[in-house]
Amino acid sequence: MNNAILVGTGLTKTFDSLTVVKEATIAVGDGEFVSLVGKSGCGKTTLLSILSGLERPTSGSVTIAGKEISTASEDELALFRRQNVGFIFQSFNLIPTLTAWENTALPLFPVSMTEAERRRRATEILEKMELGHRVDHLPAALSGGEKQRVAIARALINDPKIVFADEPTGNLDTATGDAIMAIVNRLHKEQGMTLLMVTHEPELAKTADRVIRMQDGEVLA
Amino acid sequence: MAVIGLSIGIALLVILNALSLAYHEAARAPLKEIGADVTVQRPGNVPEELSGAVFPCSAVTIKKDELDRIGKIPGIRGVGTAVLLWVFEPNRAWIALGVEQENPVGPSILKNFVAEGRYFEAGKPEALVESAYARQFGIKLGDSVSLAGRSYPVVGFVDASHAAKIAVANLYLPLAEAQAIAAASKPLQSVAPFGAGDVNLLFIRAEQEKITPVAAALKEILGPKTAVATPDSFLKLLGSFFALSDKFTLVASLIAILIAVLIAFKTMAGNVAERAREIGVLKAVGWTNRNVTRQLLAESVAQCFIAGIVGLLIAFAAAFTLGFMTVNIPIPWEMSPTPHFLPGGGTPLFKTLRLPVGIPGTLALFSVLLSVVIGGLTGTLLGRHISKIKPSEVLRHE
Repeated sequence: MNNAILVGTGLTKTFDSLTVVKEATIAVGDGEFVSLVGKSGCGKTTLLSILSGLERPTSGSVTIAGKEISTASEDELALFRRQNVGFIFQSFNLIPTLTAWENTALPLFPVSMTEAERRRRATEILEKMELGHRVDHLPAALSGGEKQRVAIARALINDPKIVFADEPTGNLDTATGDAIMAIVNRLHKEQGMTLLMVTHEPELAKTADRVIRMQDGEVLA
Repeated sequence: MAVIGLSIGIALLVILNALSLAYHEAARAPLKEIGADVTVQRPGNVPEELSGAVFPCSAVTIKKDELDRIGKIPGIRGVGTAVLLWVFEPNRAWIALGVEQENPVGPSILKNFVAEGRYFEAGKPEALVESAYARQFGIKLGDSVSLAGRSYPVVGFVDASHAAKIAVANLYLPLAEAQAIAAASKPLQSVAPFGAGDVNLLFIRAEQEKITPVAAALKEILGPKTAVATPDSFLKLLGSFFALSDKFTLVASLIAILIAVLIAFKTMAGNVAERAREIGVLKAVGWTNRNVTRQLLAESVAQCFIAGIVGLLIAFAAAFTLGFMTVNIPIPWEMSPTPHFLPGGGTPLFKTLRLPVGIPGTLALFSVLLSVVIGGLTGTLLGRHISKIKPSEVLRHE
């Protein structure tokens, strides 16, 4: 793949004696929406963690936007994620004591900028998620769909080169899940967002440009 | 919980130290009100027959040459002298005190307690009578009192109830007159030779940090049996834990703060452990270990600072309440000797005062700084530990 923004080569991950990911090789093109599907426990979330720089592979290499990240230090990885990567988690992972705009601006807090600028950027992106009226609400006051939209806003605030989504509709009812997927698809189509999404739902996977299947830790051809 | 635990610890630390300081301050009161830090008396014998002028057994002659040597002790800032006599007349017994005309140290401060009439005029053989004693015996201003064959016009009444509890008398004379009476008394001379310029009570003002060496030097000059009263000796008479031992206060303070620190640390460690997932999210979205540590440090310092302020407020409230306590400081009979056979002679004497509980600025500042330091240490330790969390480990099990 010539325009690959993400390349994982020969990735293996072993926990003690258990090999969860076996010699996986994967590439995602710039602006591409890829689904990674497989049964529960097949190693897709672990592979996503390795590809996104949250987890180190036991062997193999990962390159994002031309930077080899599998040998980077913890802090180098953190900085890299801050500047290049967005995450959408299944269980939202919002911080309950922070408001919607503060949760959205979470990646910006270590960055030197004024509070007003952080808030402006967070509010702007929340408005795009149709949450302009919820910026000062705590997560407890938000519905599941709203929480996930805040999480998407957080994933996008640093203008990432690639967004990793791990079962983004897993904790939502069908209607809300569909609405979230509509947002994800819109972002991909309108803004050319590169996306790697893990899901175990074949119907959801079909919305992607390309589907990669995993089974027993191996990426199927 | 961390804030409450540390607040209570800080409050205990402050109040224990404030109480200790209060008892120390209270112990200074009996001496302070007579303008002294140390009083000196030499015990001796009394004549077999109590007639004419005699010295009480607790205060016999201190020689002039000894006085001269005492004046040269390093750390002494002022010396006051007096002569205390028991004078037994055929119809009346007097406790007479010869005081200097002017001296901020010692019983000359009676000048401020003249309730009626006036103080002595320099060089004149005049007398002041204690107000209650004058009322009891119908003595009026302008009357003359006879003492050891000498006659003194009463020029004023002294309200001794508001004056010092040390060296209390019912008749006050110029020092030179009391010295002359003592020198002329054969019974007194037979047991305690008394010459010109000698006295039997000494009041000394000394530099606070040198009181102990001054007391030791006084005993060296006047002999080991000399009674040297210092704030410390009154402190021992108080018998309180806080008064008895600075070590008790120190140990209790350390225990209080140690328990508070442990509670704070354990609670904050628990809170941070509960926040492992949150910290995993922070790291996933790009916070470095340093960012996380700094955040936890800031939170910890802020929490502990608030705890310090709350603890200080609790301590102020406790100090205000404890300030209503009264403390009775026993005045040893020897320091204000009254013949036992006279009315009220055996009655124990106390200096009663409100416990002067206050929180000095330095103690308040120290307690808040200590809280901040505890917060800093706790935050740094926990931050370093928690920042090692790998986001994949805490986010994996969704």
